[in-house]
Amino acid sequence: MAVKAFSDEWARQFKDEVNRSSVYKSAAKGWKWTVGLVVEAEPDKNFPESRGVVMDLFDGAARDITVGPASDAQKCDFVITAPYSRWKQVATKELDATKGMLQGKLKLKGDLPTIVRYTKASQEMTECTTRVPVEWPDEG
Amino acid sequence: MHDAGAGRMAGRRLKTNKPVDYADTEPSAFASMLGGLIEANVESRPERRNDFDSLDARVGIWVTDIDEGVTLDFRRGALVVHNGLQPKRDLTIRAEADTVMSLSNLKIGPFGMPVYYDEVGRGVALKLVQGKLRIEGLIGNLATLNTVTRIFSVAG
Repeated sequence: MAVKAFSDEWARQFKDEVNRSSVYKSAAKGWKWTVGLVVEAEPDKNFPESRGVVMDLFDGAARDITVGPASDAQKCDFVITAPYSRWKQVATKELDATKGMLQGKLKLKGDLPTIVRYTKASQEMTECTTRVPVEWPDEG
Repeated sequence: MHDAGAGRMAGRRLKTNKPVDYADTEPSAFASMLGGLIEANVESRPERRNDFDSLDARVGIWVTDIDEGVTLDFRRGALVVHNGLQPKRDLTIRAEADTVMSLSNLKIGPFGMPVYYDEVGRGVALKLVQGKLRIEGLIGNLATLNTVTRIFSVAG
């Protein structure tokens, strides 16, 4: 059953998907930093307030993933920021996250050598988001 | 910490003692990322600094699936990053975004040679064989390619 995009239930299912992924477990071995996703508001897309996804990731596992204010996500070690519709494109595989970052469609803040070293892990994390059935606020 | 977006916001950087500078008033996101990656690598790893200080070459990188590229103008201890491909390049690397990322993940083995026999290395070699990674100007510039690969490498 589909869950509301960037809701608490979405965060729970996303965390379960990450922890089910053997690819992520292997690719993210050694990762020990928090990651924040800032989803910027787009009122015309029925997404009126920015939200933050805080991901506590450690050594190939997601210890916790929560949704809250954007300011929480901005405090993480790595922060990726984009408007709602860009994140939707990523979650529906319309936009590859790596390409999005190289094009500046997703803005990254954090130590670049570290994030590049874990490219495969971040790609698998994106795959995990695509496995969560989502009810988008700008659809139906 | 590097903010890939900061270069765009701040416009052209003033000349500083930083090893990496940008030729364009608004460096592209790709230029900012690559420049930031090299700067962080060079500043944190002395062996990369030695390579950086010795390299005098113009290297183009074109990402085929986003139609964007940069020219890296290495000038023995300084780097100027240009948006797009500029003339008089010694080497030009053309590949998809994933492959460009893989190049940064090549391990460096004995004698400073990139490792092509592990999983990442085999992947890069396969792309080369398949024509999905193309390197122009390789003849006569193999040592330059190896030096650039070491400067890019975030692995190991």
